[in-house]
Amino acid sequence: MFPRSRSASRKLALASLATMSLGGFSLAQASSASPAVAKASGGYQSQHAGGTLHLVAQTAGGTLDPQVNYTLQYWQLYQATYDGLVSFQKSGGAASFDVVPDLATAMPKVTDGGKTYTFTLRKGVKFSNGKTVTVADVVASFQRLFKVSNPNAGSWYNVIVGGNACLKTPATCTLKGGVVADAAKNTVTFHLTSPDAEFLDQLAVPFGSIVPAGTPGKDQGTTPVPGTGAYYFKSYDPNHALVMARNPFFKQWSLAAQPQGYPNEIEMTFGLPVESEVTAVENGQADWLFDPPPPDRLTELSTKYASQVHVNPLTAFFYLAMNTNLKPFNNVLVRQAVNWAVNRQSAVNLYGGSVLAQPACTVLPAGFPGHVNFCDYTKGGGSTWKAPDLAKAKALVKQSGLAGTPVAIVTQNDTVNESIGQYVQTVLNQIGFKATLKPLSANIQFTYIQNTKNHVQISLTQWYQDYPAASDFLKVLLSCSSFHPGSDNSINIAGFCDKSIDAQMNTAETLELTNVKKANALWGTIDKEMMAKAPLAPLFNPKLVDFVSKRVGHYEFSRQFYMLVDQLWVK
Amino acid sequence: MGALAVLVLVIVVCLLAPVYAGSVAHVDPFPSNLQGTTIVHGRVTPVLQSNHQGLGLGVTPIGPTWDIHHYFLGADNQGRDVFARLLYGGRTSLLIGSTSALLCCVLAALLGLMAGYFGGPIDWVLSRLFDIVWAFPIYLLAISLSVVLLTSGLQIGFIHIGAGSLLLPIIIIAIVYVPYVARPLRGLVLSLREREFIQAAIGVGASDWRILRREILPNALPSVIVFFPLMVALDMLTESALSFLSIGVQPPSASWGTIINDGLGLLYTRPMVAIAPGLMIVITAVSLNLLGDGVRDALDPKAKLRGSI
Amino acid sequence: MLSFVARRVLAAVLVLFAISVLVFLIFFATPGVDPAARIAGRSATPQILAQVRHEFGLDRPLPIRYALLMEHLFIKRDLTSYVNIGDKVVPQIMNAAPVTLSLVIGAAVIWLVAGIAGGVVAARFRGRLIDPIIMLAGISAISVPAYWLGEVVNLITESRLHSSVFSWVPAAGYVPISQGVGQWALHLLFPWLTLAALYAGIYARVLRAELVTALGEDYVRTARAKGLSERRILIRHALRCSLISIVSLFGLDFGSLVGGAALLTEVVFGLPGVGQLTYTSLQDLDLPVIMGCVMYAAFFVVLANTIVDVAYAWLDPRVRRA
Repeated sequence: MFPRSRSASRKLALASLATMSLGGFSLAQASSASPAVAKASGGYQSQHAGGTLHLVAQTAGGTLDPQVNYTLQYWQLYQATYDGLVSFQKSGGAASFDVVPDLATAMPKVTDGGKTYTFTLRKGVKFSNGKTVTVADVVASFQRLFKVSNPNAGSWYNVIVGGNACLKTPATCTLKGGVVADAAKNTVTFHLTSPDAEFLDQLAVPFGSIVPAGTPGKDQGTTPVPGTGAYYFKSYDPNHALVMARNPFFKQWSLAAQPQGYPNEIEMTFGLPVESEVTAVENGQADWLFDPPPPDRLTELSTKYASQVHVNPLTAFFYLAMNTNLKPFNNVLVRQAVNWAVNRQSAVNLYGGSVLAQPACTVLPAGFPGHVNFCDYTKGGGSTWKAPDLAKAKALVKQSGLAGTPVAIVTQNDTVNESIGQYVQTVLNQIGFKATLKPLSANIQFTYIQNTKNHVQISLTQWYQDYPAASDFLKVLLSCSSFHPGSDNSINIAGFCDKSIDAQMNTAETLELTNVKKANALWGTIDKEMMAKAPLAPLFNPKLVDFVSKRVGHYEFSRQFYMLVDQLWVK
Repeated sequence: MGALAVLVLVIVVCLLAPVYAGSVAHVDPFPSNLQGTTIVHGRVTPVLQSNHQGLGLGVTPIGPTWDIHHYFLGADNQGRDVFARLLYGGRTSLLIGSTSALLCCVLAALLGLMAGYFGGPIDWVLSRLFDIVWAFPIYLLAISLSVVLLTSGLQIGFIHIGAGSLLLPIIIIAIVYVPYVARPLRGLVLSLREREFIQAAIGVGASDWRILRREILPNALPSVIVFFPLMVALDMLTESALSFLSIGVQPPSASWGTIINDGLGLLYTRPMVAIAPGLMIVITAVSLNLLGDGVRDALDPKAKLRGSI
Repeated sequence: MLSFVARRVLAAVLVLFAISVLVFLIFFATPGVDPAARIAGRSATPQILAQVRHEFGLDRPLPIRYALLMEHLFIKRDLTSYVNIGDKVVPQIMNAAPVTLSLVIGAAVIWLVAGIAGGVVAARFRGRLIDPIIMLAGISAISVPAYWLGEVVNLITESRLHSSVFSWVPAAGYVPISQGVGQWALHLLFPWLTLAALYAGIYARVLRAELVTALGEDYVRTARAKGLSERRILIRHALRCSLISIVSLFGLDFGSLVGGAALLTEVVFGLPGVGQLTYTSLQDLDLPVIMGCVMYAAFFVVLANTIVDVAYAWLDPRVRRA
């Protein structure tokens, strides 16, 4: 998943976050415990319904079209406005990673060796424009994914039969033989070209939302598209506000998939500087800020406003991508040296301290499918990171014969990223390079570091999960197929391509269809092999800080889409 | 006079930055010092302190110790000595201010004189150029150029500006203010041209170049000199504004503008990091402006009659 | 006279055209600005990327793209953002303009009052203690980085002294005048003061110098000889003459501020005006919005310049020949 905001501006620190498994630290547990309590005490509590929830964000998140937008800012809001055939469970805790039936009555029947998925559509569900959802809407929605050039049309959804034809000529996309509706039986059948263990995850993210069949096959931009959720988007002005109101046609059909929300209206206003946003929430003028609180406000929040702060671990990591095709990082010794040299604790401190992040040694974040605890590059050995080993790093650089090479590190220019970049610059100088720092605007940096034409040697970047599958980290970030030389979209920033590891990743993906446990074990091994080749240096797994106003109650944190906005109480 | 003394003091103190950092504070103000320690009230203290209260979020650098040997003004978020950086930053800011002002005045004198003296199409073209630069948003120019320069450096003919070079802010700032100086100069030359001694020189067939050099320049020079201190002050202010937009001097080097920018991220916990360089800019700019008034009075005795401070 | 005005207007249009071309070229000379990848979204395959590029006309030659951009901006007026797809540029600027106007008009009133009062008082009591004090204050106001002043003011009013002296200061942001003049003014008070400080300093200094010169002119001596009071001479005669230069200065400053030169003040105080819009679009490298904002700003700067030039030509016929 792309970082929190794609228009991260100067002072926008990235998602402020830290790790679980800090013995005795109870925040994560506390927040995951609350939903259980709420549910146990009797489901929907209508005495808390009503009111207007005021959210603030520095900038808008771009187009509002759920089949195009790829920002966490709106994915979080789409939870309450759109539904797919299946969706991630709307609850706190580990269950939020579970895929549950949503517009489908039950999980699909999978046949034909994993190549055919048959869903039965729920009857009587209505869009916010009053029309009933039909199987035709489902087919049209999937055709529309290709017509609007969905970012993942070519990497996820082209597994559907007819998908590749749709990629070539999107305007005439039919997905004939790929998505088949049977109006009489009220079923929709998907035929895939090959089995895909992650297909359901990909249907459960907002791209898989079902929208009315008549929706134009063009990015709808600021025009809201009707959905089936508990809320609908009433108005959207990217320079002012996004307003959500209750969907008058909504009737709860599944607590797990689309629960009834509490506030009558949800309003997200844009344009305040983040410092003022924090002040506004402190003073009760706003209920929550989307942007991570700036580092210098954290102490104040955690002492004066402790009861309004929620900290939750994220399945994400900050890492240094080292270009394996450019000097000096084309030498594995140098890449290992960087891994030895960087003090993860220092990076954690720059991010906001030990409570907000946990040093990382692996590509797969802690708590993620396939994650194995190991740490190859720490002084004193062991499975967790303890201290850097500068002497060893210097020795490796010397051995590589590349000492003295000029190295430029490219970072985003917000407070957190630039300060970590400055620190890495110091480290690279210490181990024998001539390092310079190139801080770029966040909007340019992410595509700039991907394009091989820009000859970026080393860069600081982040990766947030799309859905909980090991391939979403290992395969997306480090396989040959995600390396596109000369393109702005080449997410394999390290340019790492190892045929044998690639083959293993394909094996692991196939294995997921039959034996998840064995597949996860294999992913763990791949992670280890990857770290031995060190195309990147993991720094830390961040945690997210949610700061809510005093009046807000019923905070629930989904690990998939973060705070459940519509479940908050303002009454 | 007082203004000059203050200015000289600021310059001398800033020039002594290496002495201060090396022999008094014993710090290196450029590399990150995240695990570093210092001595406060005789006790060894980490320069970055984790918060242990409440939820334990946040890491804060130490504040001013008011001890000239140990982090006099505290540390920034990289654990570096703010006071030492302030002195080094002053060197950069003064350098940028004075060089860009010099460049600006030279360019403006050249173009302003040409426009005013030759008139006709040359004047028209130059005047429109001034209009364009004047109406052009400096921020856009600065942001775009900084991206170009940051990433690849710039090659214009035989001039090569390396990535992250100080020349970048200097040139941008100089160009932006050329119309500011050149326009009044053009007006001045226009009126000089009408005067008898110039007409006489033209009459005896003196070359344009000779008239410009011998007759016009000496008469226009005082105006340029009066502008110079004001331009240095203005350019320093502009440099700090550009730093606010993250353009300009690249880390880990410092200027007063970039230190303010670093400090804005610490404004609520350690306001001194942003306030101290701001005050230095104010003090320097005030003395430069006063100096400018003084120079004007000295060169233009009529102005002196008007009284000044 | 008429031909002078015509030439001046033609020159202004030419300048605007040159600026638009420059902005366009600078934008495309900047590496990493290709909006296609950002529009398409992370992990789009090259095929999807090519489709997006085609859809937005990003694969066409630059001169055609320039012409299309200008057509959408000025003729069809339906140019849309690259970042917030579907968000039209012209209404964005129209919505931001009142905020900037509110900021600039309020600040202008403050700086004119403070600047003229300061200049007059300093000139009236020149050589006495109050004169250098006012002039030093003026110089200090000129010497403060405006955004720094804004941040410090924010720190004091919103945080440090918010619980005591400044508890009446509302959270940063803008409240439209339609929601009550009181709240509107309260939210803008500190932005006004911050923005006005610099200009008040400049105007006080300029006015004092003009007044002192005027007081040495013959007509003032005549008036004095007639036995008019010093105060009357200052206000009725000297000030009247000196105001001409203040008015032309004001024209230029007001033009550039309305065009968005108050960018840093707007950003620091979170006011969603044209300056803030420019700032955001620059951060996002959102070419259509940048172009819209730049043309809007340049229009006011060039307009102010032209008006001042024409006014001078009207007052002083010699200028017309130039």
